[in-house]
Amino acid sequence: MSNEGTPQITRRTTRSSSAAVSINAAETSKTRISNVPTINDLAFDQEPINKDDLFSSFPGRRTQILELLHLLGPSNSPMLPIFIYGAASTGKTSIILQVFRHLKRPFVYSSCISCYSPRILFESILDRLLLHKKSDANGYSSAKRCEKPADFVNFLREALINIINNINSNSVNLSSDKLAGRPNGKMIYLIFDNLELVRDWDKSSTMLPFLFNLHNILKMPEVGLIYVSGTTPDTYYSSMGYIEPIPVYFPDYTEDALREIFMRNQANRKLYSSFLNAVLRPFCRVTRRVDALSIVFSSLYKVYCEPLKDLGIVPNEDMKRRLFAHLQPRITPFLNGIFRVPSQTSVEVEGNKKARWKNDAEKSICEGFEKVDFHMSASAKYLLISAFLASRNPATLDASMFDSTGGCSSHKRKRKASEKSMEQKEIAEQELLMRGPGTFPLERLLAIFQCITSVAEYSSSEEEEGSNGLGVEGSSSELMSDVLLQLSSLCNANFVTKGGNCPLEGSIRYRSTVSEELAMKVARSLRFPLSKYLYRR
Amino acid sequence: MGFCTMMTIVHLRTYLLMVTCVRLLTVQEIARQLCVEHQLVFSKMASFDENSQFIVSMLRECGLAHKTIIFVLDEFDLFAQGKQRVLYSLLDAMQSVTSQGVVIGISCRLDADQLLEKRVRSRFSHRKLLFLPPSEEDLDRLLENILYLPTDTDFPCEYTDEFNGKLKNILMDGRLKDIIHAYLNSNSTVNSLLRFLFLAVSYMDVESGFLSLENFKTAFSSMQRQPKMESIKDCSILELYLLVCMKRLEVKEQSSYNFNSVMKEYKSVHDSFQTSDHYSQDVCLRAFENLLQRELICFADNRGYGQSLEFRPVKLLISHAELHQGMKSYRSCPAVLLKLMDR
Repeated sequence: MSNEGTPQITRRTTRSSSAAVSINAAETSKTRISNVPTINDLAFDQEPINKDDLFSSFPGRRTQILELLHLLGPSNSPMLPIFIYGAASTGKTSIILQVFRHLKRPFVYSSCISCYSPRILFESILDRLLLHKKSDANGYSSAKRCEKPADFVNFLREALINIINNINSNSVNLSSDKLAGRPNGKMIYLIFDNLELVRDWDKSSTMLPFLFNLHNILKMPEVGLIYVSGTTPDTYYSSMGYIEPIPVYFPDYTEDALREIFMRNQANRKLYSSFLNAVLRPFCRVTRRVDALSIVFSSLYKVYCEPLKDLGIVPNEDMKRRLFAHLQPRITPFLNGIFRVPSQTSVEVEGNKKARWKNDAEKSICEGFEKVDFHMSASAKYLLISAFLASRNPATLDASMFDSTGGCSSHKRKRKASEKSMEQKEIAEQELLMRGPGTFPLERLLAIFQCITSVAEYSSSEEEEGSNGLGVEGSSSELMSDVLLQLSSLCNANFVTKGGNCPLEGSIRYRSTVSEELAMKVARSLRFPLSKYLYRR
Repeated sequence: MGFCTMMTIVHLRTYLLMVTCVRLLTVQEIARQLCVEHQLVFSKMASFDENSQFIVSMLRECGLAHKTIIFVLDEFDLFAQGKQRVLYSLLDAMQSVTSQGVVIGISCRLDADQLLEKRVRSRFSHRKLLFLPPSEEDLDRLLENILYLPTDTDFPCEYTDEFNGKLKNILMDGRLKDIIHAYLNSNSTVNSLLRFLFLAVSYMDVESGFLSLENFKTAFSSMQRQPKMESIKDCSILELYLLVCMKRLEVKEQSSYNFNSVMKEYKSVHDSFQTSDHYSQDVCLRAFENLLQRELICFADNRGYGQSLEFRPVKLLISHAELHQGMKSYRSCPAVLLKLMDR
């Protein structure tokens, strides 16, 4: 069957997809025409904003925005590369993009998160400069194949010259009113975001100097380069000489700036302001990151407003005091859960739980659920517990721990603690803090697993006759294959990691990385007495 | 322009070519540039041998036609890694009678010629040109050259004269000389001077259209960066607590410590001082991760061997003096922390 528009890669098609293609041919050809990118796409296509809007949408960033505007200069002024740096969530990316929206100048933005290798970075920049869009027609391929920096420079120079000529000729031909919809100026800017990730690339020793030297290599005054990084400039070391870009520093927000940020778009400003008076200072002692604070404040605000029946009222002094008294005891648990993100309930479930929703959000932040909030099969849970025990208990005690009686609390001999043993205990504790959970070979894990499940089966079969939900069959070979599969999924979930190889034994050793808290939760869900099996010094 | 037809310049930027097949790429790049210069068609599909033969024949042709080829190797010390085959073959090609060529190597390293192998060094003429940072007179000339408005532009005459006149006063001002000397103390290259001047010009008041001494002062102060101090000022109070606890562990001469040991110290600080800033393990772990992101601390081991975050050894990336200084200039630093630092 023939396909509409010859793809460059021949693909096998099913009958239904080819039929669908022929039906939609007319529509796709129409959309194909309108989807070809033009020079206008290089600038922001939203409504431009004026300077005051720019300042008001970013409270506390007036200095930085002014600095950027100074460095970018009036239209068509060449610039030296700029290096914008600051901690996470300080507004670097959004501000530079909005500044370009305000200035209405064409730019090409690439982030080193989505362009995670040199080839993807180069090709994505070239695609946009060559006004090439990946679509069905060209098989979703880039305009040019470009892996090496040398090729990139050549292609980039050609593409930039093309674009600049394009801009120049268009601005000559069109009249002034048609120019209104077009980007300003004859310069084009390249923005490289998340530059700190380039340091971890394989080719970082050549990529970083290359990127910083791009200004010198291109020697084109019509091109402006802007680097955005989450780490300070002194973390980029190089033995090469290059013009260091001009640094623009974005400090973390001050408390006053945070207050302005959170007050934006609030329906009831007076009420929210009294809320912020109560919570902003204590929470800022932990962190001043906007992303963390906004999540916790939105849940906490709901708690704050609980006594109010009407959310639109303006509180007087007396009411403020009452609301504060209501909020006060909840602040500490929220502080301790400040970085937890509440799990999103699905739409259907939410309908049922609407009445309890406020409590759930609070609970999920404060208490982090007493139950394990993800699903694991029973055998996986037992495996997790066995891994935890194998990592925590020394191997020499296995025989006494897991004997037929199950549990070892009766074996603990109370001895008077002498000074030497106290010292030894302290040293051992220190070692445990430093070393972390131990490694164990696969055989030991399976041995513990079998002991535990046989005990559990014995006890559960005492409670319920016959029926057990464990799936532990009589034949050991079936048990093994199931367990090995479960082990690999535990490894994928990072509950168990592969430790280093022991050169003498040659077998892989594993290590459990779950916290005692999680192991307790899992054990509780199985009604397994974990503390009896845990060796405590 | 007789000189231009007599010389062909091949500019090799070594850092662009330092990928896996250096020789292949270098030869390809040389061939490409030669083709561009002499208006020949360059084929990307040409093999290494074809390109090398082409270069050799070009050298011979240019030699016969009394044209020189100048090879400029930017950062050639990168070629000096490994077996130096590129350098050897290039310099060897220069040795033949027919070729008329010069190889000029540029490097930031003063000892770049020491890196050369014996066989390469024997073909090297040992001529070195040292480029020093600008002297006092050079500096004055540079400033004038860069900053003065040329008279043959579109600007009105009166404006240019007034601009240059005001600029002259600033350049004669002793305070400006102090600023520039102070700036060049830290980085005396021409590039960095250019950077400083660009910054000063960008602060120019667009309304009046004239440079002022204030612009230079502002540029100077915005160049005075202390990134670690800035990072410390950005920290939250909990993060400062963690840093101080790590410092105390170092003072106690604990050779290696991890998050758990820091937490132990943190708890003991809280127990002895009854601070109001005692938070749960989860919160402290996230603050710890924030510190890692800010690069104020880092892991002391290289790979981690699958250890989770709490057990990997860490170390401080700032000195005690820096931490102390940062905390003193920190707004509303808790008195407890300052007291702990003084011990």
